[in-house]
Formats: sequence, C-alpha cells, structure tokens
Amino acid sequence: MHDSSENITLYIKSESRIKRLHPFNKLAYILLTGMLVYLGPAALEIGLVFIFINMLLAVYGGVAAPVLKTVCCTILPLAVFMLPIHGFLYPDNKTVLYSWHMISLYREGLIFACTVLVQLTALLTASLLFVFTTHPADFLTALTESGCSPVLAYLIGSPLLLLPAMRDRVGVIQAAQRARGMDCEGSLWKRIQAVKPLLSPFVLGTLVEIEQRAISLEVRGFNSCRRVSSWHQVEDSLGQQICRWTMLVCCAGIIVYHFLS
Amino acid sequence: MGFSDQIKKDFSTFTMVLIAVAIVLNIAVGQLVSLLKLPVFLDSIGTVLVAVLAGPWAGGLTGLLTNLIWGMITSPVAAAFSPVAMVIGLSAGYCARYGLFKNIWLVILSGVIITIFTAIVAVPIRLYMFGGITGSGADFLTAYMMALGKDLFGSVVVTVFTSNLLDKIVTAALVWGIVKTLPARTTSRFMSSPQRS
Repeated sequence: MHDSSENITLYIKSESRIKRLHPFNKLAYILLTGMLVYLGPAALEIGLVFIFINMLLAVYGGVAAPVLKTVCCTILPLAVFMLPIHGFLYPDNKTVLYSWHMISLYREGLIFACTVLVQLTALLTASLLFVFTTHPADFLTALTESGCSPVLAYLIGSPLLLLPAMRDRVGVIQAAQRARGMDCEGSLWKRIQAVKPLLSPFVLGTLVEIEQRAISLEVRGFNSCRRVSSWHQVEDSLGQQICRWTMLVCCAGIIVYHFLS
Repeated sequence: MGFSDQIKKDFSTFTMVLIAVAIVLNIAVGQLVSLLKLPVFLDSIGTVLVAVLAGPWAGGLTGLLTNLIWGMITSPVAAAFSPVAMVIGLSAGYCARYGLFKNIWLVILSGVIITIFTAIVAVPIRLYMFGGITGSGADFLTAYMMALGKDLFGSVVVTVFTSNLLDKIVTAALVWGIVKTLPARTTSRFMSSPQRS
C-alpha cells in the first residue's frame, strides 16, 4: 500500500516526531480540540490559542505550507459568505457598526461569524496535522493492533487502493461514450440523458467484479480468526498511552462541565 | 463479543467487498456527475445501493466510512458530515426492508423519507459547527430566507431540505433501476434484497 496510497491521501512524506507519534494520540488530540473549542468556555480565545499551537506544531512537523494552503482554501470561501451574511442578517443583530443608505453592518453578527470561523479553523488545523503526518498504513496497523477486526482495516484500506483504478475506468468509459456521440456539454436535457450511459457500465461492471474479489479474499484466509502478525510496526510507549488516556479523560470532563454549567 | 467481532459475524465476505466497492462508487460517481454540471451530487449512490442490497447497518457503515475516507483524501471537512452519510444509509436500508423499493412511486417516497432523516442530522451539524453557512451555492438560499425574516434555524432547515430533496429522489430511483438490472445470482446473495417481480 506504500506507493499508490501515498499519492491518493493527503499524507506528506516527512520525518519528524509528530509523524512517529501513535495515530490514536493524534486522533485524541483532534477530539480534545473539538470538545474544548465547541463546548468549553470562551470559544473565541481558546480557539485562537489552539490555532497558534497547531500552527507551531505544523511548522515543527514540516507540514506548515500545506496546512496553511488547505486552511486558506477551506476557510476563505466560508468567510466570504459568512461575514456578510451574518453581519447584515444575523437575527440577534442590535448594535450598528456601519451604515450606508438602507444597509447596515452589525456587531453581534460579525462576532458570531468570527467565533464560528475560529472554531472551525482550530478543529481543521488539528485534523490536518493528523491527515498530513499519518501514513494510512500506520493508522491501519494501529487499528488492528488495538484489537479492531481486520475487517475494519480492510474497509478503510481497500477503497484507497481501489480508487486510482476506478478513476482510470471512469476516464475510459467517458472516452468510449463520447466516441459514440454522447453529449456532455449540451442542454440540461442532453446532460440528463448522459447520466445513464456513463453510470450503468461503471456501476454494473464494478458490481459484477465483487464476487471474484470476495472469493480471492476468502482463499487467502480473510475469515480466519487467528491474529495476523504484521510486517509494519507502530511505535507506542507508556508515556504515549498515558497522554492518550489523559486527553480522553479531559474530553469526558469537558462534557460533564458543559452539561452542569 | 466485541463490536468488531459482531461486524464480522453480521457481514459475509461478499457484503464486505460490496461495502468497499460502494465506498469507491460514491467517490467516483460524485466526480463523474460533477462533470455533467447537473443540480444533483449523486455522491451517496453506493451507500443507498448497499443499504438496499445488504440492509440498513451495512448501508450506514458505507456512508460513515465514505466520508471518513473522503476526509483523508480531500479535506477533513467531509469527515464532519459523516453522521449525515450514515443516516442516509440507515434510512434507505429501513425503507428497503419495509418494501418501499418496489415501484417508482414508492421509490420517490423513499427519497423523501431519506431527505427528512438527512435533514434531522444535517441541520444541527450545519447550525452548530458551521454557523449555518457552508461556503456553497446553497448559502444564497439561507441568506434569502434570513433576509425574509426567518430565524437561522428555519433558514437552514429550508436550505438543507430543498438542496437534498431532488438529489435523494434521483439517487433512490437510480439505485432502484440498478438493482432491477443486476443479475439474479448477485442479488440472491443478499438476505434483504427486494423480491424481483
């Protein structure tokens, strides 16, 4: 799975301490960030602190540039919609900041929009740290080692391997149907008519293959109940385990705090 | 018995491979259709297909994993909507189990039912996580409803419902058509596949 999945997931090859951390620790960190930012007190301040910490971690992990790029691509379009819509139309708007003819910009709406944007950015940067620094194979090995059924690892891993081949097939079908005169750019009705010749050979072709795939899996002992040993090792230490559990306990604490207050 | 053992017991190898292929179908068909610039996404066709063939829980798992994997290959934002994808699979599965995938009118009704359940889960996520705005064309509708004096909740409900209704009905109808054309040796593998007339 080393070559093909590296191109398809967002994982970036790098050597850092963050890359070598156990995948579950990074997942627990995402959970903790989400809980603190959405359920904790003072969302705006905590969110800003987390964005700062996550960016430092990204620099340390050598993935700062792609993290910044993805955050801009995701958050900027959101901000373009969110700031004006809530600034002008948020239902609890009272304090006018700026007024021009009939239109006025309100303080409450802008604060609400900024808080949501900061919350999202904090959670997004934490998730990106996981996605950019965790090799899919590390994650799948960690899942299997923790006692999850290999079935789950198969269900996450095999689509990543299948996807490039399927994309090629989509291209082949498109080219073939175009050669037969299918119209992809005409009127709406023409494009609706194009759905069937594009979809049916693709969907039916893949479904018919399933049987072969299932048989080849069973022949290779997929249903065996024995624990399989893996070539791939994921580092884990007592310190990391304690860290992980502390983060989970904190999450539980935040939930309790949220419902009590 | 642990959760993963339970999965193993419930799902045969055949179902397992179907789920893996359906996840790829969701992603690839979504791309294929975006090329045609139609007002539908059709990115849950695999989920509904598994739900109809192999039951609600297999469908739910397909939806959940699709969005988690989507989060790994495009942007983590997709992972935030994984509960929505799961509910699409669950509701489609129960529709099929109670015999709603028999003729075109019942299939359209299933599309409406799936949309209702989608909205129940999607609205809180859109509202509390994204403040009602997700940076897509549908935001204009939200803004319009808010300008008409609706509250944020009402505006988001209207937006989610209208932007999903056509998509889910078309998805359900396409899946119904696909299941009808599948060879009997494939459908007979599944317990909950609808009776062929």
